[in-house]
Amino acid sequence: MIPKSIAAVMVVFMVMVFPAAAVSMEPLAVIKTPVDTVIAILNDPQYKAAGTKLAQRDEIWKIVKPMFNFDEIAKRAVARNWSDFNDAEKAAFTDVFAQFLGNTYIDKIQGEYHNEQIVYLGQDLYSDIYVEVKTQIVRETLTIPVNYRMIKGGDGQWKVYDIIVEGVSLVKNYRTQFASILSKDKPAQLIQQLNDKLTEQNKRLAENG
Amino acid sequence: MTMKPRQSFLIVMVFILMGGIAWANPPAPVTTNPPPGDAVVSDDSVPFDPFDNPSGDSYGDKDLMLQAVADPIEGFNRTMFVFNDKLYFWVLKPLSSGYRVVVPSPVRVSIKNFFFNLLMPVRLVNCLLQGKGKAAEGEFGRFVANTTVGVLGLFNPAKDYPHLNPPEEDLGQTLGYYSVGNGIYIIWPLFGPSTLRDTVGSIGDWALNPVSFMQLINVDAGELTSGTTNLIAYSVRIVNDTSFRIGDYESLKNAALDPYEAFRNAYIQNRLSKIAQ
Repeated sequence: MIPKSIAAVMVVFMVMVFPAAAVSMEPLAVIKTPVDTVIAILNDPQYKAAGTKLAQRDEIWKIVKPMFNFDEIAKRAVARNWSDFNDAEKAAFTDVFAQFLGNTYIDKIQGEYHNEQIVYLGQDLYSDIYVEVKTQIVRETLTIPVNYRMIKGGDGQWKVYDIIVEGVSLVKNYRTQFASILSKDKPAQLIQQLNDKLTEQNKRLAENG
Repeated sequence: MTMKPRQSFLIVMVFILMGGIAWANPPAPVTTNPPPGDAVVSDDSVPFDPFDNPSGDSYGDKDLMLQAVADPIEGFNRTMFVFNDKLYFWVLKPLSSGYRVVVPSPVRVSIKNFFFNLLMPVRLVNCLLQGKGKAAEGEFGRFVANTTVGVLGLFNPAKDYPHLNPPEEDLGQTLGYYSVGNGIYIIWPLFGPSTLRDTVGSIGDWALNPVSFMQLINVDAGELTSGTTNLIAYSVRIVNDTSFRIGDYESLKNAALDPYEAFRNAYIQNRLSKIAQ
C-alpha cells in the first residue's frame, strides 16, 4: 500500500503533467456527487408541499441521467436479440427503457427515502475501461449492497451500465424478461409494452402528484 | 412448526441421506476466477461484462445456463405466486405497516437482533460445513458479544466490527458450495420462492434452530417448546422483519414487465451470489 501522502503527491504530479486526466472524474466520484445531490433534493423542504412530486422527479432525473450509459444498458439487456432491432427500433427502445427505468426507481426513492445512509466501500478496477464501485445502503438494521458497474466511453467519461443490488444484476434481470417476450413477440411489441407501462406510470404520478 | 417430532425427524433423516449423496461427489467450490488474461474485450456490438464471466461471453450459453432454473411445475408456482402476492397485500403488508406505527423502531430493531442471535447455530454450522473457519469464528465471536454485552442478543454491539459480521450462511448455500444444483424452482405458499435444494436446506436449517432442536431430541421445556409458542414466535419474526422492508417487494414488482419471471431470476441470481461469497 502506498502511504496517503505519497499518493497525494503523485496525484498532484499527475494532474500537473497530464492536465487532461483531471477532466474525467474518478468512477467513485461519478456516483457519489450526483447521489449526494439527489439526497439533498429528497430532503429539500420545498418539495415537501403537495403537488411538487413531478417537479422533484424531473429535478432528480436531470442529475441522475448523465450517470448512466443507456445505450449500453439497453444493448446488454436485450443481448442476443439486439440484432433483430433495426436502427429506429434501437433508438426508440433505448429511449423508452431509459425513461421507464428512471421513472420506476425515482418513484421508489421518492416514496421510500427515510434517511438511509450511503456507504462507499471503494472501487474495483477490472481494466482500463471497466470498474465496479461498491456501496451499501444502510437502513436501520438492514445493509443492502449496491454495486455500480461502469464502463469508460470514448470521451473518457465513466458511466454506469449495470447495477447489482443484493447480488441481482438489473440488466440480467431484464434480460430474462425481454428474452421471454422476444421469443414470442417482435421488437416493436416490446417497445409498445414499455410505452404502455410508461404511460401508466406517468398517469399514476400525475394523479398522486 | 405443527409437525410431530417423529415426522420432523423423518424429514431430517431424509435430508441427511440426500446430503450424504450430495457430499459423495468431490467437493468443488463453485466459482473460480480464470486469469484476467483470458478476457477478450470484444467490440461494442457484443456486450461483455468482465465482472461475472471473465471468459468473455457474458450473455452466452454459460451465463444463461447458470441463471436458468428448471420450472416443471410452473402452473403450480404461478398460482402460488399470485397467492403469496395477495397474502402480502391483504395480510402481511397491512399487519406490518400497523405494527411499524405502533412499535417504536428501537424495539423492532431489538426483536430483530434477538432472533438473529438465536439463530446463530444455523449460520455457524454452515460456516463449518463449508470450511470457513474465519467466518465461523466471526459468528461465534458476535454471538458471545451480543449475548453478553448485548443483553441476550437484544442489542448488536458487534455491528461495527467487520470481522464479527461474516456473510450469512445457510444449508442451501452449503449444498450449493458442494456443487449441488438448484433442482427445480418451487414457490411455497407463505414461505415464498425456493428451489428443491434450498427447500432441503431450509428443513435442515429448521432442525438447527435451537427451539426445534430441543423438540427433535425430545427435551420438554414446557411452553418454550410448545407448537403455539413456536407459531407465535415465527409470526412475530416475519411481521417484524417485514416492517423493515415494506415497499421493497412493490418496487421490484412495479419495475418488472413480467413479475413472475423477474422474481424467479432475482431469486436465482441472489442465491448464486450468496453461494459465491
